[in-house]
Amino acid sequence: MKGEILPPLTATVHVKPANWRFGIRLWLPLFLFWLLLLPLLVLALPFLFAAALIFGVRFWASIRAALALLAGFHGTSVEVERPSARVFINLH
Amino acid sequence: MNDNRRQILDMLASGKITAEEAERLIAALEKGGVGATVMSETDKVKYLRVLVDTKDPVDGPTKVNVRVPMQLLRAGVRLTGVIPASAREEVNNALRKEGIAFDINNVTPQNLEELVEQLRELTVDVDNENTKVRVFCE
Repeated sequence: MKGEILPPLTATVHVKPANWRFGIRLWLPLFLFWLLLLPLLVLALPFLFAAALIFGVRFWASIRAALALLAGFHGTSVEVERPSARVFINLH
Repeated sequence: MNDNRRQILDMLASGKITAEEAERLIAALEKGGVGATVMSETDKVKYLRVLVDTKDPVDGPTKVNVRVPMQLLRAGVRLTGVIPASAREEVNNALRKEGIAFDINNVTPQNLEELVEQLRELTVDVDNENTKVRVFCE
């Protein structure tokens, strides 16, 4: 787990309402979302840099910490089971 | 002195094991020293688990099972390192107001690893009439 620097690339979502015979299994390619977000992030970088200077925040350390935070989501899973439905989300 | 050796000596001191048994255990420990180190590396705490089991009289039973990677906790704590000094002071003041004597300036990567290691022993069990909550590390 140590050394993972990429955010979660895919997610699986499983939803099964109680009155349904079969549930819905979704495989979500999160990497597409990150790819779409990347140009926006590049555009926002100068503004973020200016904001970091104004507020006295270490810019590159913040970027590294934010990336580490995103990468930390690898392996997160949430499962909720109720009489009406069962939902399972897993980030890979 | 590592923890295992200390534990053996503690057991010997408290009379739980004999001197011969302690000697054998220490010899085994020395023999498997490298393996033990590798095991402790792989044995690291990886996830924080939260299990909630409620029996709501209206909505019926609900089970929640959350697995949070420790890496996320580490990264979250690392974020405190980039908080400006003035904001840190504000956070500390706010915590003090709530009666929490905690200084976020003390949160360093070294302390964090120690904290995460200590979480291995953590198990929180809340059990009341309708709700059971269990928090532990694995």
